Amino acid sequence: MNFPRIHLRALGGLALAAGLLLGLATPLQAFPIFARKYRTSCTTCHTVYPKLNPFGEAFRLNGYRMPQETEDLVKQEPVSLGAPAYKRLWPSAVMPSQLPGNAPLAVNVKMESTNSSSYDPATGKTTTHNDFQFPQEVNLFAAGTLGDHMSFMSELTFGENPDGSTTSEIEHARLDFDSIAGPDHLVNLRVGKFAPNLYDGFQEMWLMTDNGVDTMFTYNPVGYRGGVGSGADDLATPIISLPARVRGIELYGVAAHRFFYTVGLMSKIGPGGYTGTYNAADPTTATPTGNFGNNAHKDIYARIDYKFGGMGLDGNTDGVNLPPENWRENSLRVGLLGLTGNGRDINFAVADSLGNPFNMQDVNYTRAGVFGSWIYSDLNVFGVYLRGNDKLDLIDPATSQVLNENTRSYDTWFTQADYVINPTFITSVRYEHLRPADTSVKAERFMNLNLTYLVYANVKTMLEYRQDLNENRNNQLNVVLRAAF
Amino acid sequence: MKLALCSVLALGLAGSLSAGELHGKVACKGVRNSADAVVYIAAIPGKTFAAPAKHAEMDQKNLVFAPHVLPIQVGTTVDFKNDDSVLHNVFSPDACCNRFNLGTWPKGQSRSYTFKNECQATLLCKVHPEMEGFIVAVPTPYYAVTKADGSYVIKNVPDGQFTVKVWHPTLKATQKAVKVAGNTQVDFEIAR
Repeated sequence: MNFPRIHLRALGGLALAAGLLLGLATPLQAFPIFARKYRTSCTTCHTVYPKLNPFGEAFRLNGYRMPQETEDLVKQEPVSLGAPAYKRLWPSAVMPSQLPGNAPLAVNVKMESTNSSSYDPATGKTTTHNDFQFPQEVNLFAAGTLGDHMSFMSELTFGENPDGSTTSEIEHARLDFDSIAGPDHLVNLRVGKFAPNLYDGFQEMWLMTDNGVDTMFTYNPVGYRGGVGSGADDLATPIISLPARVRGIELYGVAAHRFFYTVGLMSKIGPGGYTGTYNAADPTTATPTGNFGNNAHKDIYARIDYKFGGMGLDGNTDGVNLPPENWRENSLRVGLLGLTGNGRDINFAVADSLGNPFNMQDVNYTRAGVFGSWIYSDLNVFGVYLRGNDKLDLIDPATSQVLNENTRSYDTWFTQADYVINPTFITSVRYEHLRPADTSVKAERFMNLNLTYLVYANVKTMLEYRQDLNENRNNQLNVVLRAAF
Repeated sequence: MKLALCSVLALGLAGSLSAGELHGKVACKGVRNSADAVVYIAAIPGKTFAAPAKHAEMDQKNLVFAPHVLPIQVGTTVDFKNDDSVLHNVFSPDACCNRFNLGTWPKGQSRSYTFKNECQATLLCKVHPEMEGFIVAVPTPYYAVTKADGSYVIKNVPDGQFTVKVWHPTLKATQKAVKVAGNTQVDFEIAR
């Protein structure tokens, strides 16, 4: 459906006005850097940014290069750091490379009006907040290619919280060595801080919603009787849960156009070491430094996928009939993913029902899951089932003796349906379910609804509602205005 | 009678040496424009061509080789000028020109090299690694380099059956058997 220009403006104004009147509300965003480099629209790669369409996925997996890219496709001529003939002279001469023609920078600005309600069963009170978070965050991106076999991406995020405090974080900073052995796209190496390809298809560049899948990525597995739920600010959450971003080294690639693999080695991202003296009985006496794993172990993760139908994962279209609407195809992608790690020597403070303090270590943990994504024309249904096992040692904080050892299990799953009503209106429904390891705690269930209006290819508004299905007084309504430039 | 005989002989000679032009377009796929393709007539069996006495010229100005691609006839001496206020060097990593290295020289000076073999020589400057140029030494005096629109013209080509070759710095070379008769058009398409 094509709206006349005046209607677009009117609808954009209405959506903005609705947000302001309602006074209401985190995946990654988009890089207009490539829109400039190729002189092409955001919608070449995104259904609605950041959600990638099949071409965008191929572009990403190709190290930010178009499938079968030739130099005439690149409208911003790169800066040569050495004539190509120098390749023949290596190592007597430095291997030639290139820099992006312009500073490869982009900015995302996010305004969010949040209306949240939360019920505290301890006091019986319901607290509501109505915040204009203008802006909630600003992201500075840098991304591009360095010659034929390297690419890079980094993101610096500045956030403003409702209480007036501010945050800044390097969310991504990675270097990729692309197609370093064998056929094109088969072997790529990534180093840095990044969202691992372990989550390819269901996190960051595939989520069009404002809220992330918290039940999957913020589960805290540590508790006296095992983990009790998601979203807690507990120190263990970002360390031992499924980490949304990692510091690591990853191999990934595409074989025979449709087979995808990744395997990685990562440091846990979490509180790591402490400033001051850490006292497990009273962790507030020390401050977590936030960034470094504090044991000698690394986590290992792996994933394999296969895509049936549609565009190949490397952009190959041989023998495939694709419609001009570039978000459409008929395909099914399925995968297996897993992670294993060791949190020995990292103490977390827990207490029994009487309040007696203990230390707990997650000395061995595994995560295993299945992923599926089905695209049928305008509909994309995808989801993950994940099961986790944690071997938890309960330790006497005074003597450091292991008092007991238990293996606790949890499982979580979500399914999301995104539907392109037309190129300007896209809607999404997600159901999340988390059964924590502590069987005395009820399973978490959430519903997340989103309606996105793409005002322009690089400007969007979203109306998003999240409901706790266990407690109807816990909910949140966000209105988001986001621009990428 | 004598005049008539001379006229007939002159006409006959002109007929056997009649020359036209070979022209056309080279469509270069996958690159920004169709410039810098060299179109030339390959070695003609039984025919040799004396090396030209006149030197060709390759300049280094504004940190680029100018022209970017210079076709010459085998045996030609090329003078490499420096028109920049910085030092330049010229060397080639290619065996067909004995991997020459002419050293380093300042503005206003030049160094020379004679290309004795058929060769597609890459020119590099050690002082400025991003600089790249090409000398294409071909066996006949019939050659041209394409403009940005891909057009080329080779003048004074005798009639006959020839192999016409096309070379490009980054695209695959190609060739065609061509019968030249007066003004003859031949188009090519090259890609990676």
